[in-house]
Amino acid sequence: MDLGSDNLKTPLHGWHTSHGATMAPFRGWEMPLWYPSGAVAEHLAVIEGCGMFDTSHMSVISLIGPGSFDLLQSCFTRDLDSWRQRNGGPPRSGRAAFGAFLNDLGHVIDDAVVFFLALDTYLVVVNAGKGEEVCSHLAACKGSHVFELDDLTGKIGKIDLQGPNSARILAKVLHEPERALLPMSYFSFKGHFDEDSPLADVFLKNGAAVLVSRTGYTGEFGFELFVRSAMLGDTWELILAAGKEFGLIPCGLAARDSLRAGAVLPLSGQDIGSWPFINHPWPHALPFNEDGTGFTKDFLGDVVLGKRNSAEHTQAFAGYDPRKVSVHDPAVVLGPDGTDLGIVLTCVADMAIGRVGNRIYSVVSPDKPDGFKAKGLSCGFVRVRHRLPLGQVVELKDKRRKIRVEIVEDIRPDRTALRPMSLMIERRGVGSDERDS
Amino acid sequence: MKEIHELHFPETVRYAHDHEWARQENDIVVVGISDYAQDQLGDITFVELPQEGDFFEKGEEFGTLESVKAVSEVFMPVAGEIVAINGELGESPRLVNEDPYGAGWLIKVRPTNATDLENLMSANEYEDMLRGLE
Repeated sequence: MDLGSDNLKTPLHGWHTSHGATMAPFRGWEMPLWYPSGAVAEHLAVIEGCGMFDTSHMSVISLIGPGSFDLLQSCFTRDLDSWRQRNGGPPRSGRAAFGAFLNDLGHVIDDAVVFFLALDTYLVVVNAGKGEEVCSHLAACKGSHVFELDDLTGKIGKIDLQGPNSARILAKVLHEPERALLPMSYFSFKGHFDEDSPLADVFLKNGAAVLVSRTGYTGEFGFELFVRSAMLGDTWELILAAGKEFGLIPCGLAARDSLRAGAVLPLSGQDIGSWPFINHPWPHALPFNEDGTGFTKDFLGDVVLGKRNSAEHTQAFAGYDPRKVSVHDPAVVLGPDGTDLGIVLTCVADMAIGRVGNRIYSVVSPDKPDGFKAKGLSCGFVRVRHRLPLGQVVELKDKRRKIRVEIVEDIRPDRTALRPMSLMIERRGVGSDERDS
Repeated sequence: MKEIHELHFPETVRYAHDHEWARQENDIVVVGISDYAQDQLGDITFVELPQEGDFFEKGEEFGTLESVKAVSEVFMPVAGEIVAINGELGESPRLVNEDPYGAGWLIKVRPTNATDLENLMSANEYEDMLRGLE
């Protein structure tokens, strides 16, 4: 297959191809779709055990300077004042937030996770191929803010270690693992990838300084690990070897896509994009006040609040079997009488779930019926002109077929992303009696 | 993805341009997809097959294979009547990946034209065609 010669390659590209990965172009990068174990096994590994992803194609931007906080407050969709201490003290570092950068119409330039490293020091992680555009956008928003931007893409290697066994694996390869991991709550992080940084206080056993973040894009418990590019290959091998006893396998973009869709997480450019960032399943990415009537700050794109009565609605759906429609056709949403309600944004199959009666169970649901076998369900997002009630059944239609799906609030049950760290270090296997906290 | 030399193309079946294979068993032709096709598609997650008794022309679409990547049509390598479908694939669609020439067969056909099978490619001819696709 000719993937073209102009696609970028991560430092692990040779590892992927020599281990039999099926490669494909993705937003300017040549990345693994799946390895010989197959995308279904990779998807299940992250839910039942652990999987690791090379995500070095993501763009990493350093934002430093006295105007950084005010810049983010003026153009990021999260109110970072919420990081301030209750006693009014300065914001606490080591926190991360998911949000988006919008243009003045309230359309999405890209979604992002902002990491608060230290006073006036932030890391902004955006999607593959988006670093330049987001840097330009931030520079255009400069105003009187004083800051420096540095696109670190290509200099930083990133590994996502995801799944209920990921803390136990990481503990094997970290120096002082308990000090590093035990107090770490969801969307917090420690350390730095540059060993010369005063923030670098977490190290791997191969000597690499690492930024360990309790974040990810699968809906499952796990970490994103940032290291210098030069240490990526060695770190990948170190973790893979440590994870062998826990069933760790490398995973590709196909599993990443099906895991995130089942976890109701958006893909930028597909589920969020050049339309108003409102009326979607991610209200936590906007700075709503307590009663949801307004925003707690002014920011570029906050006009979306005024559009919420007229803008379209993005909603999640789950099908009744794994059959999909192709969103590239494009696929449309049809009501009971055949009326055109909108379009399909994402349609993939989550192979870890299935229906019994009116309920969706996962392979790890503690209360799954005896003999339950997950046959997989199509799932994803639709964008419709009027909000559809939960439970409504609609048809998705592409050039080939129609499939029936249900509008839902959530898709894959019993996800592990929010489980307390203490449970995930001490116990083996998937917890059988805890729900997301 | 495997290199072509890593794939298996038994000489006991004949091959179509669309990557189906066909094998004579008495007066019936068994049909499936090649090792190359299953490797390209990735994990098969759902198989849609016709009804027994349906008739199809050679080259006509008789079903679809749903993989994690896409939905792919499968086409009749020979014309004829469907006399059996592989019911195991409902529970275990991955058999198509694991054993494409054996337990992963798709349909059995009573052919209407004996020469259809002869006109398909030998293993060597099919492998040459695949090398031309590289």
